[in-house]
Amino acid sequence: MYILQANDIHKSFHRLHVLKGVSLQVKTGEVIAIIGPSGSGKSTFLRCFNRLETIDSGLIEIQGELMVENGPDGKAKYKAEADIRRLRRKMGMVFQNFNLFPHKNVMQNVMLAPMLVEDNGVKEAEEKARVLLDKVGLADKRENFPFELSGGQQQRVAIARALAMDPDIMCFDEPTSALDPELTGEVLRVIKDLAIERRTMIVVTHEIGFAREVADRVLFMDEGLIVEEGKAEEVLINPRHERTEAFLSTVLMAR
Amino acid sequence: MEYVLILMPSMLKGTSVTLQLFFLTLIITLPLGVILALARLTKFKPLNLFMQLYVWVFRGTPLLLQLFFVYFGLGILGLKIDRFSAAVLAFVLNYAAYYAEIFRAGIQSIDRGQYEAADVLGLTRVQTMTKIVLPQVFRRVLPPVSNEVINLIKDTALVYAIGMSELLRVAKTAAVRDFSFIPFLVAAVFYLAMTGVVQQFFKWLEAKTNFYR
Repeated sequence: MYILQANDIHKSFHRLHVLKGVSLQVKTGEVIAIIGPSGSGKSTFLRCFNRLETIDSGLIEIQGELMVENGPDGKAKYKAEADIRRLRRKMGMVFQNFNLFPHKNVMQNVMLAPMLVEDNGVKEAEEKARVLLDKVGLADKRENFPFELSGGQQQRVAIARALAMDPDIMCFDEPTSALDPELTGEVLRVIKDLAIERRTMIVVTHEIGFAREVADRVLFMDEGLIVEEGKAEEVLINPRHERTEAFLSTVLMAR
Repeated sequence: MEYVLILMPSMLKGTSVTLQLFFLTLIITLPLGVILALARLTKFKPLNLFMQLYVWVFRGTPLLLQLFFVYFGLGILGLKIDRFSAAVLAFVLNYAAYYAEIFRAGIQSIDRGQYEAADVLGLTRVQTMTKIVLPQVFRRVLPPVSNEVINLIKDTALVYAIGMSELLRVAKTAAVRDFSFIPFLVAAVFYLAMTGVVQQFFKWLEAKTNFYR
C-alpha cells in the first residue's frame, strides 16, 4: 500500500492548464524531490495533496483512504470537509514564505495546533515543542517572536510547527527559495536529518545538490507534466530527456 | 468662575447622557462590526449583497437623517420608542456600517499564507478566525477604529435634534438663557476631555499590542 497516491491529476487556473495529468505514488519512508522550472506546476502539484489547491479531476488517496476521486461526470469529487481536515493532519506542510503566526512567539507557534486540534494539554504541548525546537536547533529562541528571527530560523520553526502534529508525510514547498544563500544550509541540514530518520517526505526544490543527496526519487516536471522520473542519480546525473538536461545545465550554470 | 460652577450640575447631566449613548453604542457596535464584516466577506451571495446595500445606505446618508428616520419614522409607523432608544438604534446602525468596512479591510489585509498555515495544521474555520486572523486584524485596525470612536463622541451631539438633553444642548440652552458664551467654552473643554481620554486609551492600546511586527 502506498502512503500517498495521486493519479492523473488535472488542474486549471481559469484557462491556464497547470497540471495536465500527473501521478505520484509514495511509499513509507521514501524521500521524493520534485524539480523543474518555475511555472512547471510542481508547487501546485504538491499543494493538491493537502487540498490547498482543489483539483479538477483525478484521485488522491492518503494511507489508502480516499480524499478525492472522479465522480460519474469525470470531475473531482471531494470527501466531506471533516474527513479532509482529518486527512490533512497526516500531512505536514512547510511553505516557501514560512507563514509563521506573527502574533505568537516561537513556542506558541509550535504549541498552537497540538492544543487546538489534538486537544493536547499545555504541559504535553510544551514538552513536545521543547523537544522539536531542540531538534531544529532553536532551543534558545523559544520566547522570541518570528520578526526577531532570521529567515533560516523562521523556516526551522515552521518545520518544528509542522512536526508537532506528528504527520505521516512532510511536504516542503521550495523551503529555501525565500532565504539568503548563506541561510539555506541550516534549513537543508534539518530536512536532511529528517531524511535520515526515514521520514516520508516530498520536497519541491531548486537545490539540485540537496536533491541528489537526500532524495530516493526525483521527478522532473515541465509544463504541467512529469517529464522524467527515477532514482536521484539517474535523473540528475544521466538524464534521459533533453528538457531535463537543459534545465539541469541552466540551474547548475547559475551556481 | 462662579458661573462655571453654577453651570456644572446641568452640564454634567448632559455629559452623562452623552457618555451613556457613547458607551452603549460602542459596546454594541464593535462586535456587531466584526460580525457584519464576516457577513460581507461570505461567499453566500444574498448575504454579501445585502451587506453591500446596508453599508451603502447607512454610510451614504447623513446620520442626522437616520436619526430622524428612526425616531419620527418609527413613530409614524406606530412604533413609539423613547428618544434614547431611538438614538442608540440610529447610532448603532450607522456606526456598524463604518466598523464593518474597517474590519473587512483589516481581514482582507491578512496574508493568504496565514489561512493556509492554519488550514494545513487542521484548524477549523472558527479557530482560524478567532486565533489567527482576528487577533492580527484588531491590532491593524486600531488607528481607524480610534478615529471612529472619537467621531462617535462628537456625533452624539446630533441627538439634540430629537430633543435630547445631551451636553451641547444643555450648553446652548444656558448660553441663550444667560446670554453668555461661556457655556460653549465649557462644553468644548468637556468634549476635549472625553476625546483626550479616548485618544490616550488607544495610544496605550497600540503600544501594548506592539510586541510583534
